Amino acid sequence: MPSSYPRRNRTPGELALAAALVIPIVIVMGGLVFWPLATSVVDSFFRIDPMKPGTPFVGLANYGALMADSNVQTAWLNTLAYVAIAVVLETIGGMGAALLLNRVKHGRQWLLAITVLPWCLPPVVNAIVWMWIFNPSYGLLNHALLWLGVIDSRQVWFNDRATALFLVSLVHVWRMMPLTAVILLAALQSIPRDLYEAARLDGAGPIKSFRLVTLPLISSGLAIALSQSTVFAFNLFDEAWILSGSSLDTRSVIIQVYLTAFQNLRFSSGMALSILAMLASLLVSLIYVLRVYRETRYD
Amino acid sequence: MRSLISTLPGRIGTVLAVTLLVAWSLGPIYWSLVTSLTPPLNLLGAPSLWPQQITFEHYAKLFGATSMSQGNAVQSVWPQFSAALANSLITSILATIVTVAIAAFGAYAFVRLEFPGRDLLFVAVVATLAIPAYTVMIPLYRLMISLKLIDTYTGITLIYVSAFLPLALWLMRSVYQAMPISLEEAAWLDGAGRIYTLVHIVLPLSAPGLIASAILTFLNAWGQFMVPLVFSPTLATKPLTVLIPEFVTRNYIDFGLMNAAGILAIIPPVLLVLFLNRYLVSGLMAGATK
Repeated sequence: MPSSYPRRNRTPGELALAAALVIPIVIVMGGLVFWPLATSVVDSFFRIDPMKPGTPFVGLANYGALMADSNVQTAWLNTLAYVAIAVVLETIGGMGAALLLNRVKHGRQWLLAITVLPWCLPPVVNAIVWMWIFNPSYGLLNHALLWLGVIDSRQVWFNDRATALFLVSLVHVWRMMPLTAVILLAALQSIPRDLYEAARLDGAGPIKSFRLVTLPLISSGLAIALSQSTVFAFNLFDEAWILSGSSLDTRSVIIQVYLTAFQNLRFSSGMALSILAMLASLLVSLIYVLRVYRETRYD
Repeated sequence: MRSLISTLPGRIGTVLAVTLLVAWSLGPIYWSLVTSLTPPLNLLGAPSLWPQQITFEHYAKLFGATSMSQGNAVQSVWPQFSAALANSLITSILATIVTVAIAAFGAYAFVRLEFPGRDLLFVAVVATLAIPAYTVMIPLYRLMISLKLIDTYTGITLIYVSAFLPLALWLMRSVYQAMPISLEEAAWLDGAGRIYTLVHIVLPLSAPGLIASAILTFLNAWGQFMVPLVFSPTLATKPLTVLIPEFVTRNYIDFGLMNAAGILAIIPPVLLVLFLNRYLVSGLMAGATK
């Protein structure tokens, strides 16, 4: 973090004022994020279970039990599917929307407002709206596909695991794509116009100038968008929970954490799993950031 | 110099793409609105994109004292619905005020004041943006139980503040960094103190950033589901997001009622987008590009 202003002598009372302004942040973040995070790490090596006496040190036993648990394995696979589908669709859709918004001249503010809207709504309401669309008997999806002749009988969408995973991801993508679009739009708007002019004079077509001018210059925005999509998809809870509850077919890692900790009251096991989820999410984000930077730097 | 022929397909393509984007973004919301205005029996028939017959009975179920359901008079859900609506508003507004206030003053210290550990503290706080909020839920639950803050406005608000403060702080810091220091220096030369300058000169000039942080915090708090699912077990603090899905668990799913409740729950976000979208988008962009 570079300091953005020149160093000067501290005025008297500056330290006291700084302390007064920063202490609320230290208390809130320390007490409600850093302290719980630290206890989460420590407690994941103990057995903390209100149903069992004592809290003995168990080493890596919680982690070992998680590796062996087939429900946990399924939850990991589901979450990986969510991350893969969501990141791909959000990036493609968000890029398309950003390029379009960057191109539209009349009414851009309105189109932007419409694009951003799904991100602003409560995820629970989004999931309920889509649940009605996916309803096997009366839902719009079945009616529309029947009418178009794509299917010849009504489908119970959530009976098939792959379809269920895709539909849950789709609801998530509907909510999160606007964020990718806005991040990429901000990056696109920072590209100087004359670069495209120069590329055109050099005989580059639209695809070539996208690859040679646009992509390298939005790489940092793209890395941010990718890691945002990843972190949010790793955290997927609301959509899967509303659309099919604790069903193993669509159960994400975070739902597994919730069930373990708050329904089965195996606190330390839940903490171990949530730490693994955090590490996985951070790791995948980091890989993107590094790769995107490396592959798009031409200097 | 492009000819009309080469731009015409491009224009048609743009129009098609805009139509697609609008349909994708608004379609589901429009469909929910249509559903909430359709009589229950018509919901079981072939859907029509335009309501054949408009009814307000789903909304009446939410607002009325009693209502008719499948021919029987049933107790209305207004007592629960109004309590949850009030809870949603109170927790979201409280969280917004506290978060923006702490961020507005704290970010100033991170930009204009020098103190030991300044950059380290800032990086540590902003780094928590990358940590899934749910990682700390379990220890937080035990902490809140020991503090007796489960199912209280104080408890929920504190959790929201800790979750949304990093983004607001990041945003306000970028706002202050972009502000020329000369204005403040002029005030100091006139003998104004630090706090006077901050309150009377810096904060008014930062109004767009403050509005953006407030909108982002409010929207995040308004949409929260898992935090209140754990920390708001009763209607003392239960918000709409937790109450509405409970309409499902009755003996049958009343989709008209759920869509009507959903439409009411999206009114505050929709109003924010309609009237303050400029600030919202600038906030999202600032959060992403710095």
